[in-house]
Amino acid sequence: MSWRRIRTLIWKEFVQISRDRAMLPILFIMPILQLVLFGYVVGSDVRNLNLAVLDQDNTVQSVRVVDAFTSSGYFTVSARPTSDAQLKDALDGGQAVVAITIPKGLGDAVHAKCAGQIGVIIDGSDSRTSGVAAGYASGIIANLSNQFYGAGGAAMTAGGVNAQVRVLYNPTMRAVNTMVPALLAFILLMSTSNVMSQAIVKEREKGTLEQLFVTPIGRADYLLGKLLPYTLIAVVQLTITFLVGVLWFQVPFRGSLLVTGGGLMLFMLAALGIGMIVSLMSRTRQQAQQTSMFLQMPQMMLSGFMFPIDALPKWLYILTFLIPLRYILVIVRANFLKGSTFVELWPQFAMMAAFSIGIFLFGLSRFSKRLAD
Amino acid sequence: MADRTDSVETAIDVRAITRVFRNVKAVDDVTLAIPRGEVFGLVGPDGAGKSTLIRMLATVLAPTSGDALVFGHSVLTDPHHVKPRIGYMSQAFSLYGDLTVQENLDFFAELRGVPHRDMASRSKRLLEFSGLTEFRTRQAQFLSGGMKQKLALAATLISEPDLLFLDEPTTGVDPVSRREFWRIISGLHRDGITVFVATPYMDEADRCDEIAFMTQGRIILRDTPSGMKGRVPGRVIEVAVNDYRAAMPVLRALPCVHSLEVSGDMLRVLVSKDADACESTLRDALTGAGFTVRHVTPSQTDLEMAFATLIPTAAKNSDTSDADILAVPE
Repeated sequence: MSWRRIRTLIWKEFVQISRDRAMLPILFIMPILQLVLFGYVVGSDVRNLNLAVLDQDNTVQSVRVVDAFTSSGYFTVSARPTSDAQLKDALDGGQAVVAITIPKGLGDAVHAKCAGQIGVIIDGSDSRTSGVAAGYASGIIANLSNQFYGAGGAAMTAGGVNAQVRVLYNPTMRAVNTMVPALLAFILLMSTSNVMSQAIVKEREKGTLEQLFVTPIGRADYLLGKLLPYTLIAVVQLTITFLVGVLWFQVPFRGSLLVTGGGLMLFMLAALGIGMIVSLMSRTRQQAQQTSMFLQMPQMMLSGFMFPIDALPKWLYILTFLIPLRYILVIVRANFLKGSTFVELWPQFAMMAAFSIGIFLFGLSRFSKRLAD
Repeated sequence: MADRTDSVETAIDVRAITRVFRNVKAVDDVTLAIPRGEVFGLVGPDGAGKSTLIRMLATVLAPTSGDALVFGHSVLTDPHHVKPRIGYMSQAFSLYGDLTVQENLDFFAELRGVPHRDMASRSKRLLEFSGLTEFRTRQAQFLSGGMKQKLALAATLISEPDLLFLDEPTTGVDPVSRREFWRIISGLHRDGITVFVATPYMDEADRCDEIAFMTQGRIILRDTPSGMKGRVPGRVIEVAVNDYRAAMPVLRALPCVHSLEVSGDMLRVLVSKDADACESTLRDALTGAGFTVRHVTPSQTDLEMAFATLIPTAAKNSDTSDADILAVPE
């Protein structure tokens, strides 16, 4: 190993990146773009759901019910059908995803302090929206029930459910709060494994790798010359993501920078290992791109990055243990939202360390053997 | 770092080297010794295994079996002692297209540990003699084909290697740049640098001290260019005739004609043994067939003709025994 050679390789890498018109925007605009996309689109809260109202009661109480729904901010009245048939049309035609029917007699029932009835109909074709809508609706109705009858007098029911839910850590259930910490890990995965494997395969494709191997550089020189620049870039990307997340999206950060940073660095080893393996499996940059995509899909799906993994079938759930992204997601999310400490997170750290070091060493051991062939 | 004081007189000592790619023997049991200071040319058709052989000698590809010693160091077990002494120019341009000429030179100088105090003077000298001084700040990808090759050579020379491997360095390069390139190689030869060059061009092969002909992974002929030509049985007669295509079957039918080839609008005829007698035989046969003969003159054998004549025999012999063909004649 020679510091002079490593320094030269790093210098070369930065000169190349600075002249690559495609690479530069990808490296620094991509994290922001991803954050904005995930933050606003995927992570957007279910709001302003279209609501159809069939009010056959027309009393002060029935108007209060409708007000309670609209003032929550989650629902906007989009249709006011006058019959069950029209209500069905509104739901079928997609003018509304949620409908409430207030049958005649609600006002009288409230006055008489006996049970009143409200029907809530939810379009279940989008399971995510409908699940959230059902939760909102039952919450609103439970709240109304308290107002009408006083606490404990829960005589109004919606679909037989009267749930009292309290959400910990992320009380407003802002999806962006779980998305931003996850993005830190995901961007790290992207920029180290993808970008680095691209950079290595490019050298092989252009023949420069062969030229390097006639010089006295060793594989440690070469690897460090590649790893260090992309690590540095990843750190810059992480900082941008972190700052935009905390300052713009107002994501709370309750944990320790040290635990988050340490976890991410450990995870980076796995990402780098994956990058090395991809670069060994690919002859061309296109192949490397496709291989990365192929590997990324299961990582996104089976890590809890976008979809919960608890409900997966058992055989698939077992596979999630093999994905280092799974562990780092728990670490960063717990750190951001719960302020968890290393002591609480050590099982995740242990598992991730095992996988990361394993993958990294595997990549490393295969690296020199096949590089020049 | 270039240690020219060691006592090894053989620059490259190839010992039964073989490389197999998926059951295909790209290089098949090649044994070869190349003395120090020689310009050694490797010729042969595409796919003969020239690049594979060079890549093994340059330590970038591991042999399947056999070994090669470069200045006494094995490419297999001791590549770290080989690399500092050699330079390697692969067939495709293999410098960084997005770095400038100067940056490429500096990059390879740093990697190869050229002392900082020498770097500026060496790169200045190399840029001058390759004619690239005015293009110092241009990115390598925007250079012409010939300039790219000269830059690649300059980058290889910056560490002052004792041995250069050049894999078809002038393929796709214009004739003027090719000549300049070989002028540089002659200069290196005068400085005592050993050059191992693969080339598809016969005129380039002719400028080497020794040449070897490689086909199907084997070296089947090895000699000096003049020795190669001297082995051709018979002599060459140049024939200029009004319709050379029509004249070819007439000449082939003659018993004294061994073979012939077209060169421009003339025919080069290889005749066996007695050239003087044959000269008139050719002239008579052509005039008799109604051709207008412009001239019939004895000429020199060239490498192309030598290979055309020698290869079929050599290839046949190499199937049975390698030894007598590989032996360098006195």
